[in-house]
Amino acid sequence: MSDTPILSIRDLTAKVADEDVDILKGVDLDLFKGEIHAIMGPNGSGKSTLAKVLAGHPGYEVTGGTVTFHGDDISELEPDERSQAGIFLAFQYPVEIPGVSIANFLRTALQARLEEGEELDLFDFQDELMARMEMLEMDPSFAERPVNDGFSGGEKKRNEILQLAMLRPSLALMDETDSGLDIDALQVVSRGINRLHEENPDMTVLIITHYQRLLNFIKPDKVHVMLNGRIVRSGGADVALELEEGGYEDYRTAEAEAIAEAEAEAQEA
Amino acid sequence: MSDTSTIDQPIGGLMEGITDAFNASAVEAVSGGEPAWLANRRTEAWSAYERTPLPTTRLEEWRYTNLRKLLKLDRLGFDGVSLDAAVATGSDAEPFDLAGAPEALRAAMEADHAASGHVVEIDGRIVHVDLDPELASQGVVLTSLRRAVADHPDALDRHLATDALPASRGKFQALNAALWTDGVFLHVPKGVRLELPVRVTRYLTKPGTAFFNRTLILADAASQVSFVDEGLSADFAEQTLFSSAVEVIANDGAQVQYVSLQRMGRGVFHLQQQRTLAGRDSTLDTLNVALGASVARTDLNARLLGPGANSDMLGLCFGEQGQHFDHNTSQDHVAPHAKSDLLYKGALDGNARSVFRGIIKVHKNAQQTDAYQTNRNLLLSEHARADSLPNLEIEADDVKCSHGATVGQLDQEHLFYLMSRGLSRDRAERLVVLGFLGEVLSRLPLGGVVEKVTRIIEERLQHG
Repeated sequence: MSDTPILSIRDLTAKVADEDVDILKGVDLDLFKGEIHAIMGPNGSGKSTLAKVLAGHPGYEVTGGTVTFHGDDISELEPDERSQAGIFLAFQYPVEIPGVSIANFLRTALQARLEEGEELDLFDFQDELMARMEMLEMDPSFAERPVNDGFSGGEKKRNEILQLAMLRPSLALMDETDSGLDIDALQVVSRGINRLHEENPDMTVLIITHYQRLLNFIKPDKVHVMLNGRIVRSGGADVALELEEGGYEDYRTAEAEAIAEAEAEAQEA
Repeated sequence: MSDTSTIDQPIGGLMEGITDAFNASAVEAVSGGEPAWLANRRTEAWSAYERTPLPTTRLEEWRYTNLRKLLKLDRLGFDGVSLDAAVATGSDAEPFDLAGAPEALRAAMEADHAASGHVVEIDGRIVHVDLDPELASQGVVLTSLRRAVADHPDALDRHLATDALPASRGKFQALNAALWTDGVFLHVPKGVRLELPVRVTRYLTKPGTAFFNRTLILADAASQVSFVDEGLSADFAEQTLFSSAVEVIANDGAQVQYVSLQRMGRGVFHLQQQRTLAGRDSTLDTLNVALGASVARTDLNARLLGPGANSDMLGLCFGEQGQHFDHNTSQDHVAPHAKSDLLYKGALDGNARSVFRGIIKVHKNAQQTDAYQTNRNLLLSEHARADSLPNLEIEADDVKCSHGATVGQLDQEHLFYLMSRGLSRDRAERLVVLGFLGEVLSRLPLGGVVEKVTRIIEERLQHG
């Protein structure tokens, strides 16, 4: 673990591009090389927004704060530039792209990472693709099927992990990767993530989830609780267990009290 | 408008389109030396042409394609006479010199995969035909239409511009039937199956001219054949008319695939009339790929004449600045227990326009019909436009029919997904467009066509 975080978020505020109200209301977060973090929070807390903002989704607008990745400010970068820099977002709802096969798509994505004039070795590519599909217990025929077209929820999520495996990012943002998975699929997916992290211990992983159950399979170094656009608690893996028992209500109450207090202070002033 | 101002422009619809180039003496010249049945057929077609007014946008079928604006018939030349002299086909032909051919034609042919036979047409005249001798010995006939007039008069008398595309079907069907200069005749006898496609390459060199060709494909019972018809030219500064009439007849149990790959240059007005007649238990599939020309109008009428007939009707167009595509299709269910499935897609950039008008017609006795029609359009620019007019006309009561049409833009979520994997916006757009159109190609993956079309579209997207 080095002294400078690979991802550093300071007082980040962001909103949906054509709306007025910020969804992220001042997020601070540091991720160091090789760490596994989990952000937990109820629906509407802003945790998925954070993932999309980090990946550069054009539907969101950063209104304040900074995001530095490997020491560089990335807030002006296009999504493809962020990907090239090493950020990967596993989608909560992977998009169906008719007529584009997984193999073709991944080939194009890997080719795009090479220098001008360099050619991807197609044999190596094919070998690796098949090996990774086997690891994720995917049928080889999937390689030639259009991306996510007609896939079940579990197949879509495996396909996200397949892309993670092939693209080898330095930062993996896993946006509700566990949602919509049965226990078998959840195990395959989390085994895949663990395996990739073992192969490349420098890969930093940020898991975004509503539920604690994924963290039974992937052990986080740190757990953060997000509520109403802010991180309200950070700690070790035990925070997830606290949540398991107390739910988000304790935090909601605490936050409501804090807001009431702040408002009262404001009125006094 | 007063009638004194338009002495040389007849009004009221009659006698429209008779010009210095298109007139009775042109018909006479082009039919010089032909047998009486054919000369008569041309004369009759010509009078049908004379009688038929030029379609206006008041007609549903021409609502979005204004011929008065888009087609300057009176500026076109026509050169029917010199074609009469040379009939060059088969073994007695001068060997076709591919090395001396225009580069675009050469490239198109060299990229072709293996074939059962080839035909090359330059400026409306067949200059080369070859056919696998093994197939010739089984009775397969592949020849120029001019030569077929002499060698296969009975088949032509019976089928040329009669059952499928008679002059009575419209103004341009009549003009083509009157003035065609050459074309292709393919006959596959009963039970004969061609493993590889027949490939036709047509090329135009003369701007400002009108060209008329015909294709007649006769597939006898239980035969099998696929036919790839590619047309190309340079870009022309003067409007050039390329009129193709295609008649495909599939007899009982025959399997026929007809693919048109239109890559004409700018300046070309492409008029393509196709009619397919599908007999009992036959399969008669078509794929129309429209990439080129300034204006390209395709009329496709698929008639399902025998019970158990099956037609897949596929089409795609990719348009850029200054291009106008118009597809007018009908799925004509005459016999019961037949199926037709249409999928036409268009992707349009710049100020390109496309029109799709499709009708499913189920006749009274055509019970147990399955007929589907889908038209999807993708607009890549805010100046592009697509109009879609799907239609149903159903007289039978026990049928399964559906139609649907969509016009949309590139989905930003699709682009974000691909870009988040490191693809540039351009590359992501290319992939989405190719995927969108590729769905059509993948339904009729004839050797080489998918790769060729994909490559052409990819190159154009890259330069765009």
